[in-house]
Amino acid sequence: MINEILVQFAEWLYATGGSRAIEESFYLYNWIETTHVLTIMICLGMLAFIDLRMLGYAMPTVSASKIADRLNIPMMIGFSIMFITGLLLFYAKPTYTNQSIWFRIKMVLLVVAFFNAIRFHRHMKASESTWTNEPRAPLNLRVSAALSLGLWAGVVTTGRLIAYDWYHCYRDLPGWLSAAAGCVAE
Amino acid sequence: MELLPFFEWAETSFLGYIGKTYGGVYATFGQSLHLMALAVLGGSVLVADLRLLNVIMRDVPSEIVAEQAHKWFKVALAVILSSGVFMAAAVAQRMYHNDFFWAKMSALFVGIAFVFVIKRPLLKGSHADIHPMVIKLVAIASILVWFSVAATGRWIGFSG
Repeated sequence: MINEILVQFAEWLYATGGSRAIEESFYLYNWIETTHVLTIMICLGMLAFIDLRMLGYAMPTVSASKIADRLNIPMMIGFSIMFITGLLLFYAKPTYTNQSIWFRIKMVLLVVAFFNAIRFHRHMKASESTWTNEPRAPLNLRVSAALSLGLWAGVVTTGRLIAYDWYHCYRDLPGWLSAAAGCVAE
Repeated sequence: MELLPFFEWAETSFLGYIGKTYGGVYATFGQSLHLMALAVLGGSVLVADLRLLNVIMRDVPSEIVAEQAHKWFKVALAVILSSGVFMAAAVAQRMYHNDFFWAKMSALFVGIAFVFVIKRPLLKGSHADIHPMVIKLVAIASILVWFSVAATGRWIGFSG
């Protein structure tokens, strides 16, 4: 049921003028994609430094809460650009992307990364005064930081794999994979 | 010097064979790893350069930020070069005829030379001894060079 609704929504998006204009413009589409990829350097680059600081591998002599606080703004700027360009990329190819198993896994990983980030910030704010100048954060924050790095590595990998159609609906897929990819009967 | 024979050989090498034959290995150990390393490299460049430009972490000595960022820059560069060689080997002949590949190689060469010949030696000592305008120019040049490397790299895939 949900897959049918998503397919209808994707087909409606596909039929809009804006969607066609972006996909059919070589430079517009490719520059949106380039911006999406380049902002990895801003968003994930900053995130990597925050997580590596928590794990004790980057700037161990600088207060951990100071690093997290100072790098949070550029990271969020990068994330905002990534989010907007990501929406535009989906808008340009909604029918293909909606039925990509990699896109769906990427979305799940993004949601898990979001909740992990909330948990991380909550725990950090509650306890930072006791450890912020230590070279490594307490265990629960180190686990969150390592999880964050792993989840974002997964987001990057699945994002890259969207371009490959190995498990797309026009292939011969097992039932569970077909359902997970959002395939519907013609 | 004619480089085409080298590119032809690269495509028939073990690395070229693996990348050509196994799409999943190419996409994950080549492309995804390359992107993750790009994130860390870009992060290290931006953390250091935005600090030099007094945009972020103004309450942390720029010497410490530049030193620590350079450590991770070297790690990321090593991964980028390794995964890049692996990816290029699989499609070596196509790369040889791709203008954006050569643009990226040129930008990469300039970027590496800039970091190890100009930026790092300059910033090794106390930053208070360097004219603030020189520090800012170095930071802006560094950001421009590495964004050019990344952008030309992405356009390799769009140009044939």
